[in-house]
Amino acid sequence: MIEPIAASRCPRCAVVITPPAMYCPWHPVAMTPTVVAGAGEIVSFTTLHSPPEGFRSPLHIAIVRLAGGAHAVCHGAETRGLKIGSTVAIEAIDDVYYFSHLGAMDRARLFWRRTGHAGERVNAITRSLAKRVWKGRDRAAS
Amino acid sequence: MVNVFVAGAGMTRIGRRSERLQDLMADAAHAALVAAGLETPDAIVVATMNPEEFLGDGNFASHVATHLGFADVPTLRVETATSSGAAALYAGFAQVAAGLKSSVLVVGGEKMTHLSTPRVSEIIGRSIDPYERRYGATMPALAGLITRALMARKGVGAREIAQVAVKNHANALRNPYAHFQQAITVEEVLESRMVADPLRLLHCCPISDGAAAVVLTSARAPVRVAGVGQGTDTLAVRHRAVLTSFRATRVAAQAAFAMAGFGAARVDFAEIHDAFAPFELISLEDIGLVPSGKAGRATLDGETALDGRLPVNPSGGLKGRGHPLAATGLAQIVECVWQLTGRAGDRQVPGRRVGLAHSIGGLATNNWVTILEAA
Repeated sequence: MIEPIAASRCPRCAVVITPPAMYCPWHPVAMTPTVVAGAGEIVSFTTLHSPPEGFRSPLHIAIVRLAGGAHAVCHGAETRGLKIGSTVAIEAIDDVYYFSHLGAMDRARLFWRRTGHAGERVNAITRSLAKRVWKGRDRAAS
Repeated sequence: MVNVFVAGAGMTRIGRRSERLQDLMADAAHAALVAAGLETPDAIVVATMNPEEFLGDGNFASHVATHLGFADVPTLRVETATSSGAAALYAGFAQVAAGLKSSVLVVGGEKMTHLSTPRVSEIIGRSIDPYERRYGATMPALAGLITRALMARKGVGAREIAQVAVKNHANALRNPYAHFQQAITVEEVLESRMVADPLRLLHCCPISDGAAAVVLTSARAPVRVAGVGQGTDTLAVRHRAVLTSFRATRVAAQAAFAMAGFGAARVDFAEIHDAFAPFELISLEDIGLVPSGKAGRATLDGETALDGRLPVNPSGGLKGRGHPLAATGLAQIVECVWQLTGRAGDRQVPGRRVGLAHSIGGLATNNWVTILEAA
Protein backbone atom coordinates (compact mmCIF):
# COMPACT_ATOMS: atom_id res chain seq x y z
CA MET A 1 0.00 0.00 0.00
CA ILE A 2 1.31 3.46 -0.89
CA GLU A 3 0.81 5.93 1.91
CA PRO A 4 -0.33 9.52 1.16
CA ILE A 5 2.25 12.08 2.37
CA ALA A 6 1.26 15.56 3.55
CA ALA A 7 3.01 18.27 1.51
CA SER A 8 2.55 21.85 0.29
CA ARG A 9 2.77 23.47 -3.14
CA CYS A 10 3.86 27.00 -4.11
CA PRO A 11 1.14 28.66 -6.20
CA ARG A 12 3.82 30.71 -7.96
CA CYS A 13 6.61 28.26 -8.85
CA ALA A 14 4.75 24.95 -8.26
CA VAL A 15 7.55 23.57 -6.05
CA VAL A 16 6.25 20.85 -3.70
CA ILE A 17 7.85 20.28 -0.29
CA THR A 18 7.34 17.99 2.66
CA PRO A 19 6.53 18.39 5.48
CA PRO A 20 4.14 21.22 4.54
CA ALA A 21 5.44 24.76 5.20
CA MET A 22 3.66 28.06 5.53
CA TYR A 23 5.78 29.85 2.91
CA CYS A 24 7.59 28.71 -0.23
CA PRO A 25 11.39 28.68 0.38
CA TRP A 26 11.78 30.70 -2.85
CA HIS A 27 8.74 33.03 -2.79
CA PRO A 28 7.06 35.05 -0.03
CA VAL A 29 3.68 33.52 -0.78
CA ALA A 30 1.52 31.14 1.27
CA MET A 31 1.75 27.50 0.16
CA THR A 32 -1.30 25.38 -0.68
CA PRO A 33 -1.69 22.12 1.28
CA THR A 34 -1.47 19.02 -0.92
CA VAL A 35 -0.85 15.29 -0.70
CA VAL A 36 1.73 13.27 -2.65
CA ALA A 37 2.14 9.51 -3.06
CA GLY A 38 4.63 7.95 -0.64
CA ALA A 39 6.75 6.33 -3.34
CA GLY A 40 9.66 7.51 -5.44
CA GLU A 41 13.36 7.07 -6.08
CA ILE A 42 16.47 7.33 -3.95
CA VAL A 43 18.38 10.60 -4.52
CA SER A 44 21.15 9.57 -2.13
CA PHE A 45 21.70 7.65 1.09
CA THR A 46 24.30 7.29 3.82
CA THR A 47 25.00 5.24 6.92
CA LEU A 48 26.17 6.90 10.13
CA HIS A 49 28.40 4.74 12.29
CA SER A 50 28.46 7.08 15.27
CA PRO A 51 25.07 8.81 15.07
CA PRO A 52 24.13 11.65 17.39
CA GLU A 53 22.74 10.95 20.83
CA GLY A 54 19.30 9.33 20.78
CA PHE A 55 19.87 7.31 17.58
CA ARG A 56 20.92 3.67 17.15
CA SER A 57 24.04 2.76 15.17
CA PRO A 58 24.17 2.12 12.28
CA LEU A 59 21.74 4.87 11.26
CA HIS A 60 20.61 4.77 7.63
CA ILE A 61 19.42 8.11 6.21
CA ALA A 62 18.13 8.68 2.67
CA ILE A 63 16.65 11.46 0.57
CA VAL A 64 13.81 10.20 -1.63
CA ARG A 65 12.38 12.09 -4.61
CA LEU A 66 8.66 11.35 -4.36
CA ALA A 67 6.56 10.90 -7.48
CA GLY A 68 4.77 14.19 -6.67
CA GLY A 69 8.05 16.11 -6.74
CA ALA A 70 8.69 16.65 -3.01
CA HIS A 71 11.93 15.33 -1.51
CA ALA A 72 11.57 13.40 1.75
CA VAL A 73 14.31 12.71 4.26
CA CYS A 74 13.81 9.30 5.84
CA HIS A 75 15.31 6.44 7.78
CA GLY A 76 15.65 2.87 6.59
CA ALA A 77 16.16 -0.54 8.15
CA GLU A 78 19.11 -1.26 5.85
CA THR A 79 20.80 -0.16 2.64
CA ARG A 80 21.80 -3.58 1.25
CA GLY A 81 21.07 -3.66 -2.48
CA LEU A 82 20.07 0.00 -2.43
CA LYS A 83 21.28 2.26 -5.28
CA ILE A 84 20.77 5.88 -6.30
CA GLY A 85 17.63 5.69 -8.42
CA SER A 86 16.20 2.61 -6.61
CA THR A 87 12.43 2.73 -6.31
CA VAL A 88 11.22 2.72 -2.71
CA ALA A 89 8.07 3.30 -0.75
CA ILE A 90 8.06 5.48 2.35
CA GLU A 91 5.75 5.22 5.30
CA ALA A 92 5.38 7.21 8.49
CA ILE A 93 5.86 5.39 11.77
CA ASP A 94 5.33 7.59 14.84
CA ASP A 95 5.82 10.70 12.69
CA VAL A 96 9.13 9.43 11.28
CA TYR A 97 9.38 8.35 7.62
CA TYR A 98 11.02 5.06 6.71
CA PHE A 99 11.95 3.91 3.22
CA SER A 100 11.74 0.27 2.21
CA HIS A 101 11.69 -2.01 -0.81
CA LEU A 102 8.64 -3.49 0.92
CA GLY A 103 10.08 -7.02 0.91
CA ALA A 104 9.00 -9.36 3.75
CA MET A 105 12.28 -9.01 5.66
CA ASP A 106 12.26 -5.22 5.35
CA ARG A 107 8.73 -5.10 6.67
CA ALA A 108 9.71 -7.26 9.66
CA ARG A 109 12.69 -5.02 10.45
CA LEU A 110 10.55 -1.92 10.11
CA PHE A 111 8.02 -3.46 12.48
CA TRP A 112 10.79 -4.14 15.01
CA ARG A 113 12.03 -0.51 14.74
CA ARG A 114 8.44 0.72 15.07
CA THR A 115 7.93 -1.19 18.31
CA GLY A 116 11.00 0.57 19.80
CA HIS A 117 10.58 0.58 23.57
CA ALA A 118 7.57 -1.70 23.24
CA GLY A 119 9.86 -4.22 21.52
CA GLU A 120 12.29 -4.07 24.42
CA ARG A 121 9.41 -4.61 26.83
CA VAL A 122 8.32 -7.65 24.82
CA ASN A 123 11.92 -8.89 24.99
CA ALA A 124 12.04 -8.41 28.77
CA ILE A 125 8.73 -10.23 29.28
CA THR A 126 9.91 -13.09 27.07
CA ARG A 127 13.17 -13.33 29.03
CA SER A 128 11.44 -13.39 32.43
CA LEU A 129 8.93 -15.98 31.22
CA ALA A 130 11.77 -18.13 29.95
CA LYS A 131 13.57 -17.77 33.30
CA ARG A 132 10.42 -18.76 35.21
CA VAL A 133 9.93 -21.81 33.01
CA TRP A 134 13.61 -22.76 33.52
CA LYS A 135 13.41 -22.34 37.35
CA GLY A 136 10.15 -24.29 37.39
CA ARG A 137 11.96 -27.13 35.60
CA ASP A 138 14.81 -26.97 38.18
CA ARG A 139 12.32 -27.17 41.03
CA ALA A 140 10.56 -30.09 39.41
CA ALA A 141 13.94 -31.87 39.05
CA SER A 142 14.94 -31.45 42.73
CA MET B 1 32.57 52.97 -4.91
CA VAL B 2 35.79 53.62 -2.97
CA ASN B 3 38.61 51.14 -3.63
CA VAL B 4 39.23 48.89 -0.62
CA PHE B 5 42.71 47.59 0.23
CA VAL B 6 44.04 45.04 2.70
CA ALA B 7 46.66 46.99 4.62
CA GLY B 8 47.54 44.25 7.13
CA ALA B 9 46.89 40.58 7.83
CA GLY B 10 47.61 38.34 10.79
CA MET B 11 46.58 35.05 12.35
CA THR B 12 47.39 32.66 15.15
CA ARG B 13 48.66 29.14 14.72
CA ILE B 14 45.59 26.93 14.22
CA GLY B 15 45.11 23.81 16.35
CA ARG B 16 44.40 22.82 19.93
CA ARG B 17 44.97 26.05 21.82
CA SER B 18 44.81 26.56 25.56
CA GLU B 19 44.38 30.36 25.38
CA ARG B 20 41.01 32.04 25.78
CA LEU B 21 39.21 33.06 22.58
CA GLN B 22 39.60 36.79 23.30
CA ASP B 23 43.37 36.27 23.68
CA LEU B 24 43.62 34.39 20.37
CA MET B 25 41.59 37.11 18.64
CA ALA B 26 43.76 39.82 20.23
CA ASP B 27 46.93 38.10 18.91
CA ALA B 28 45.53 37.98 15.37
CA ALA B 29 44.19 41.56 15.57
CA HIS B 30 47.48 42.99 16.85
CA ALA B 31 49.44 41.16 14.14
CA ALA B 32 47.16 42.66 11.47
CA LEU B 33 47.30 46.18 12.99
CA VAL B 34 51.11 46.05 13.27
CA ALA B 35 51.36 44.90 9.65
CA ALA B 36 49.12 47.81 8.65
CA GLY B 37 51.08 50.29 10.79
CA LEU B 38 47.83 51.36 12.43
CA GLU B 39 47.19 51.78 16.16
CA THR B 40 43.42 52.33 16.21
CA PRO B 41 40.92 51.47 13.44
CA ASP B 42 37.79 53.56 12.72
CA ALA B 43 35.58 50.50 13.27
CA ILE B 44 35.76 46.80 14.12
CA VAL B 45 33.83 43.82 12.74
CA VAL B 46 33.94 40.64 14.84
CA ALA B 47 33.13 37.14 13.57
CA THR B 48 32.40 34.28 15.96
CA MET B 49 29.94 31.54 15.08
CA ASN B 50 28.77 30.40 18.48
CA PRO B 51 30.64 31.63 21.58
CA GLU B 52 27.33 31.45 23.44
CA GLU B 53 27.37 27.66 23.33
CA PHE B 54 31.08 26.87 22.95
CA LEU B 55 32.09 29.21 25.78
CA GLY B 56 28.96 30.53 27.48
CA ASP B 57 29.88 34.09 26.46
CA GLY B 58 27.65 36.51 24.56
CA ASN B 59 27.83 40.10 23.34
CA PHE B 60 31.14 39.13 21.80
CA ALA B 61 31.67 42.30 19.73
CA SER B 62 31.90 44.43 22.87
CA HIS B 63 33.82 41.64 24.62
CA VAL B 64 36.57 41.66 21.96
CA ALA B 65 36.64 45.44 21.54
CA THR B 66 37.05 46.04 25.27
CA HIS B 67 39.66 43.27 25.55
CA LEU B 68 41.69 44.92 22.75
CA GLY B 69 41.54 48.36 24.37
CA PHE B 70 39.07 49.61 21.78
CA ALA B 71 36.04 50.16 24.03
CA ASP B 72 35.47 53.49 22.22
CA VAL B 73 35.63 52.03 18.68
CA PRO B 74 32.28 51.17 17.01
CA THR B 75 32.13 47.36 16.82
CA LEU B 76 29.56 44.90 15.49
CA ARG B 77 29.41 41.12 15.17
CA VAL B 78 28.52 39.20 12.00
CA GLU B 79 27.37 35.58 11.78
CA THR B 80 26.57 33.31 8.81
CA ALA B 81 27.46 29.95 10.45
CA THR B 82 30.79 28.51 9.22
CA SER B 83 31.34 31.36 6.72
CA SER B 84 31.09 34.09 9.38
CA GLY B 85 34.69 35.23 8.76
CA ALA B 86 33.99 35.87 5.07
CA ALA B 87 30.73 37.64 5.95
CA ALA B 88 32.62 39.85 8.41
CA LEU B 89 35.10 40.74 5.67
CA TYR B 90 32.15 41.83 3.53
CA ALA B 91 30.72 43.95 6.36
CA GLY B 92 34.08 45.68 6.77
CA PHE B 93 34.53 46.00 3.01
CA ALA B 94 31.08 47.60 2.66
CA GLN B 95 31.84 50.24 5.32
CA VAL B 96 35.06 51.29 3.58
CA ALA B 97 33.64 51.01 0.04
CA ALA B 98 30.68 53.21 1.02
CA GLY B 99 33.03 55.86 2.41
CA LEU B 100 31.60 55.49 5.92
CA LYS B 101 34.97 54.50 7.45
CA SER B 102 38.55 54.78 6.21
CA SER B 103 39.91 51.82 8.20
CA VAL B 104 38.17 48.73 9.59
CA LEU B 105 39.68 45.90 11.64
CA VAL B 106 38.01 42.57 10.81
CA VAL B 107 38.77 39.77 13.27
CA GLY B 108 37.31 36.27 13.52
CA GLY B 109 37.94 33.35 15.86
CA GLU B 110 36.56 30.23 17.47
CA LYS B 111 37.48 28.09 20.49
CA MET B 112 36.08 24.55 20.59
CA THR B 113 38.68 21.91 21.47
CA HIS B 114 38.00 22.15 25.21
CA LEU B 115 34.68 20.35 24.53
CA SER B 116 34.19 16.69 23.54
CA THR B 117 33.89 15.89 19.82
CA PRO B 118 30.22 14.75 20.06
CA ARG B 119 29.36 17.99 21.89
CA VAL B 120 31.15 20.13 19.26
CA SER B 121 29.44 18.21 16.43
CA GLU B 122 26.09 18.73 18.09
CA ILE B 123 26.61 22.49 18.48
CA ILE B 124 27.83 22.87 14.88
CA GLY B 125 24.89 20.68 13.79
CA ARG B 126 22.43 23.24 15.13
CA SER B 127 23.02 25.16 11.90
CA ILE B 128 21.18 22.34 10.06
CA ASP B 129 17.44 22.45 9.26
CA PRO B 130 15.62 21.39 12.50
CA TYR B 131 13.41 18.86 10.65
CA GLU B 132 16.45 17.13 9.13
CA ARG B 133 18.14 17.11 12.52
CA ARG B 134 15.19 15.07 13.84
CA TYR B 135 16.44 12.33 11.50
CA GLY B 136 19.91 12.43 13.03
CA ALA B 137 21.35 14.59 10.25
CA THR B 138 24.77 15.97 11.21
CA MET B 139 27.21 17.87 8.98
CA PRO B 140 29.07 14.62 8.12
CA ALA B 141 25.73 12.88 7.45
CA LEU B 142 24.62 15.52 4.93
CA ALA B 143 28.14 15.57 3.45
CA GLY B 144 27.90 11.76 3.15
CA LEU B 145 24.67 12.08 1.16
CA ILE B 146 26.31 14.66 -1.12
CA THR B 147 29.47 12.55 -1.52
CA ARG B 148 27.53 9.45 -2.58
CA ALA B 149 25.59 11.49 -5.16
CA LEU B 150 28.88 13.01 -6.38
CA MET B 151 30.55 9.60 -6.74
CA ALA B 152 27.65 8.42 -8.90
CA ARG B 153 28.79 10.98 -11.46
CA LYS B 154 31.39 10.21 -14.11
CA GLY B 155 34.94 11.17 -13.23
CA VAL B 156 34.71 11.26 -9.44
CA GLY B 157 35.89 8.15 -7.63
CA ALA B 158 37.38 7.37 -4.25
CA ARG B 159 40.93 8.15 -5.44
CA GLU B 160 40.04 11.60 -6.81
CA ILE B 161 38.42 12.56 -3.50
CA ALA B 162 41.23 11.07 -1.41
CA GLN B 163 43.84 13.00 -3.43
CA VAL B 164 42.27 16.30 -2.26
CA ALA B 165 43.03 15.37 1.36
CA VAL B 166 46.54 14.10 0.46
CA LYS B 167 47.37 17.34 -1.40
CA ASN B 168 46.05 19.60 1.33
CA HIS B 169 47.96 17.74 4.06
CA ALA B 170 51.13 18.06 1.93
CA ASN B 171 50.56 21.84 1.68
CA ALA B 172 49.85 22.15 5.41
CA LEU B 173 53.21 20.52 6.09
CA ARG B 174 54.78 23.70 4.63
CA ASN B 175 52.58 26.01 6.72
CA PRO B 176 53.75 26.70 10.29
CA TYR B 177 50.25 28.03 11.11
CA ALA B 178 48.52 24.74 10.15
CA HIS B 179 46.78 22.37 12.57
CA PHE B 180 48.12 19.20 10.89
CA GLN B 181 51.85 18.83 10.30
CA GLN B 182 51.88 15.35 8.81
CA ALA B 183 51.65 13.89 5.31
CA ILE B 184 49.02 11.27 4.53
CA THR B 185 48.69 8.80 1.63
CA VAL B 186 45.74 7.89 -0.58
CA GLU B 187 45.74 4.41 1.00
CA GLU B 188 45.53 5.89 4.52
CA VAL B 189 42.53 7.99 3.45
CA LEU B 190 40.82 5.00 1.83
CA GLU B 191 41.40 2.84 4.91
CA SER B 192 40.41 5.44 7.52
CA ARG B 193 37.32 4.92 9.66
CA MET B 194 33.96 5.23 7.89
CA VAL B 195 32.05 8.23 9.29
CA ALA B 196 29.04 8.65 6.98
CA ASP B 197 29.33 6.10 4.19
CA PRO B 198 31.07 6.81 1.75
CA LEU B 199 32.66 9.66 3.72
CA ARG B 200 35.68 8.63 5.83
CA LEU B 201 37.48 10.26 8.75
CA LEU B 202 40.42 11.52 6.65
CA HIS B 203 37.98 13.23 4.27
CA CYS B 204 36.91 15.51 7.15
CA CYS B 205 38.55 18.65 8.54
CA PRO B 206 39.58 18.67 12.21
CA ILE B 207 38.04 20.59 15.11
CA SER B 208 40.40 23.53 15.67
CA ASP B 209 40.89 26.71 17.69
CA GLY B 210 42.37 29.89 16.28
CA ALA B 211 41.85 33.43 15.06
CA ALA B 212 42.62 35.53 11.97
CA ALA B 213 42.36 39.25 11.20
CA VAL B 214 42.79 41.81 8.45
CA VAL B 215 42.82 45.61 8.34
CA LEU B 216 40.87 47.12 5.45
CA THR B 217 41.61 50.68 4.35
CA SER B 218 40.69 53.19 1.70
CA ALA B 219 44.39 54.20 1.66
CA ARG B 220 46.35 52.39 -1.04
CA ALA B 221 48.07 49.15 0.07
CA PRO B 222 49.69 46.22 -1.82
CA VAL B 223 46.49 44.12 -2.04
CA ARG B 224 43.08 45.29 -3.31
CA VAL B 225 39.72 43.64 -2.65
CA ALA B 226 38.59 43.27 -6.27
CA GLY B 227 35.24 41.58 -5.66
CA VAL B 228 33.02 40.11 -2.98
CA GLY B 229 29.94 37.98 -3.67
CA GLN B 230 27.36 36.25 -1.49
CA GLY B 231 25.13 33.33 -2.49
CA THR B 232 22.39 31.57 -0.59
CA ASP B 233 20.28 28.41 -0.66
CA THR B 234 17.53 26.68 1.33
CA LEU B 235 18.35 25.76 4.93
CA ALA B 236 16.97 22.26 4.21
CA VAL B 237 19.27 20.21 1.99
CA ARG B 238 16.36 18.00 0.83
CA HIS B 239 14.67 20.95 -0.94
CA ARG B 240 17.53 21.26 -3.45
CA ALA B 241 17.07 20.05 -7.00
CA VAL B 242 20.68 18.81 -7.16
CA LEU B 243 23.05 17.73 -4.41
CA THR B 244 26.30 17.74 -6.39
CA SER B 245 26.51 21.49 -7.03
CA PHE B 246 25.99 24.34 -4.57
CA ARG B 247 23.76 27.17 -5.79
CA ALA B 248 25.15 29.37 -3.01
CA THR B 249 28.68 29.03 -4.44
CA ARG B 250 27.63 29.60 -8.06
CA VAL B 251 25.75 32.80 -7.18
CA ALA B 252 28.55 34.07 -4.91
CA ALA B 253 31.16 33.47 -7.63
CA GLN B 254 29.09 35.20 -10.32
CA ALA B 255 28.58 38.23 -8.06
CA ALA B 256 32.26 38.42 -7.09
CA PHE B 257 33.47 38.14 -10.71
CA ALA B 258 30.90 40.74 -11.80
CA MET B 259 32.23 43.18 -9.20
CA ALA B 260 35.85 42.42 -10.14
CA GLY B 261 35.12 42.92 -13.83
CA PHE B 262 36.99 39.76 -14.87
CA GLY B 263 36.39 36.02 -14.92
CA ALA B 264 37.76 32.78 -13.47
CA ALA B 265 40.52 32.63 -16.11
CA ARG B 266 42.37 35.45 -14.29
CA VAL B 267 42.52 33.55 -10.97
CA ASP B 268 46.06 32.29 -10.22
CA PHE B 269 45.38 30.36 -6.98
CA ALA B 270 42.45 29.68 -4.67
CA GLU B 271 41.59 28.94 -1.06
CA ILE B 272 38.57 26.61 -1.15
CA HIS B 273 36.25 25.50 1.69
CA ASP B 274 37.21 21.81 1.91
CA ALA B 275 35.52 21.03 5.24
CA PHE B 276 34.94 17.67 3.52
CA ALA B 277 37.39 16.71 0.75
CA PRO B 278 34.70 16.20 -1.95
CA PHE B 279 33.54 19.80 -1.40
CA GLU B 280 36.80 21.02 -3.00
CA LEU B 281 35.93 19.19 -6.23
CA ILE B 282 32.34 20.47 -6.20
CA SER B 283 33.45 24.05 -5.47
CA LEU B 284 36.17 24.22 -8.16
CA GLU B 285 33.47 23.44 -10.76
CA ASP B 286 30.82 25.70 -9.16
CA ILE B 287 33.20 28.68 -9.22
CA GLY B 288 34.22 27.90 -12.79
CA LEU B 289 37.92 27.39 -12.02
CA VAL B 290 37.77 23.93 -13.60
CA PRO B 291 35.35 22.82 -16.35
CA SER B 292 32.30 20.86 -15.18
CA GLY B 293 33.13 17.20 -14.56
CA LYS B 294 36.91 17.75 -14.69
CA ALA B 295 37.83 18.57 -11.06
CA GLY B 296 38.63 14.97 -10.16
CA ARG B 297 40.93 14.50 -13.15
CA ALA B 298 42.60 17.90 -12.58
CA THR B 299 43.31 16.95 -8.96
CA LEU B 300 44.78 13.53 -9.84
CA ASP B 301 46.91 15.15 -12.56
CA GLY B 302 48.40 17.61 -10.05
CA GLU B 303 46.88 20.71 -11.67
CA THR B 304 45.74 21.94 -8.25
CA ALA B 305 48.98 21.03 -6.43
CA LEU B 306 51.33 23.72 -5.13
CA ASP B 307 53.41 23.53 -8.35
CA GLY B 308 50.40 23.02 -10.64
CA ARG B 309 48.60 25.30 -13.08
CA LEU B 310 46.14 26.45 -10.38
CA PRO B 311 47.36 25.84 -6.80
CA VAL B 312 44.31 25.15 -4.60
CA ASN B 313 44.54 25.53 -0.84
CA PRO B 314 48.25 26.36 -0.63
CA SER B 315 47.65 26.93 3.11
CA GLY B 316 46.49 23.32 3.55
CA GLY B 317 42.82 24.30 3.42
CA LEU B 318 40.32 23.47 6.14
CA LYS B 319 41.56 19.88 5.92
CA GLY B 320 45.18 20.66 6.73
CA ARG B 321 45.32 24.17 8.21
CA GLY B 322 42.23 23.42 10.32
CA HIS B 323 38.75 24.91 10.65
CA PRO B 324 38.23 27.25 13.58
CA LEU B 325 34.77 28.15 12.16
CA ALA B 326 34.49 31.97 12.14
CA ALA B 327 38.28 32.34 11.80
CA THR B 328 38.38 30.23 8.64
CA GLY B 329 36.96 32.73 6.13
CA LEU B 330 39.52 35.29 7.32
CA ALA B 331 42.40 32.78 7.52
CA GLN B 332 41.78 32.19 3.80
CA ILE B 333 42.04 35.93 3.15
CA VAL B 334 45.23 36.13 5.23
CA GLU B 335 46.75 33.31 3.14
CA CYS B 336 45.78 35.10 -0.10
CA VAL B 337 47.35 38.35 1.14
CA TRP B 338 50.55 36.59 2.17
CA GLN B 339 50.72 34.80 -1.20
CA LEU B 340 50.10 38.03 -3.14
CA THR B 341 52.79 39.90 -1.18
CA GLY B 342 55.38 37.11 -1.36
CA ARG B 343 55.30 36.28 2.34
CA ALA B 344 54.04 32.68 2.19
CA GLY B 345 57.39 31.09 3.02
CA ASP B 346 57.91 27.48 1.89
CA ARG B 347 54.50 27.33 0.24
CA GLN B 348 54.90 30.52 -1.83
CA VAL B 349 53.38 30.22 -5.30
CA PRO B 350 55.57 32.40 -7.56
CA GLY B 351 54.49 35.40 -9.65
CA ARG B 352 50.80 35.41 -8.67
CA ARG B 353 48.50 38.40 -9.21
CA VAL B 354 44.95 37.22 -8.36
CA GLY B 355 43.80 35.01 -5.47
CA LEU B 356 40.29 33.75 -4.71
CA ALA B 357 38.80 32.70 -1.35
CA HIS B 358 35.64 30.59 -1.09
CA SER B 359 33.77 30.05 2.18
CA ILE B 360 30.76 27.80 2.86
CA GLY B 361 28.24 28.70 5.59
CA GLY B 362 26.21 25.85 7.08
CA LEU B 363 25.63 23.07 4.56
CA ALA B 364 26.14 25.58 1.71
CA THR B 365 23.25 27.82 2.76
CA ASN B 366 25.26 31.07 2.90
CA ASN B 367 28.45 31.11 0.84
CA TRP B 368 30.98 33.77 -0.07
CA VAL B 369 33.56 34.29 -2.79
CA THR B 370 36.18 37.01 -2.33
CA ILE B 371 38.69 38.00 -5.02
CA LEU B 372 41.95 39.70 -4.07
CA GLU B 373 44.36 41.33 -6.50
CA ALA B 374 47.94 42.55 -6.16
CA ALA B 375 47.51 46.32 -6.47
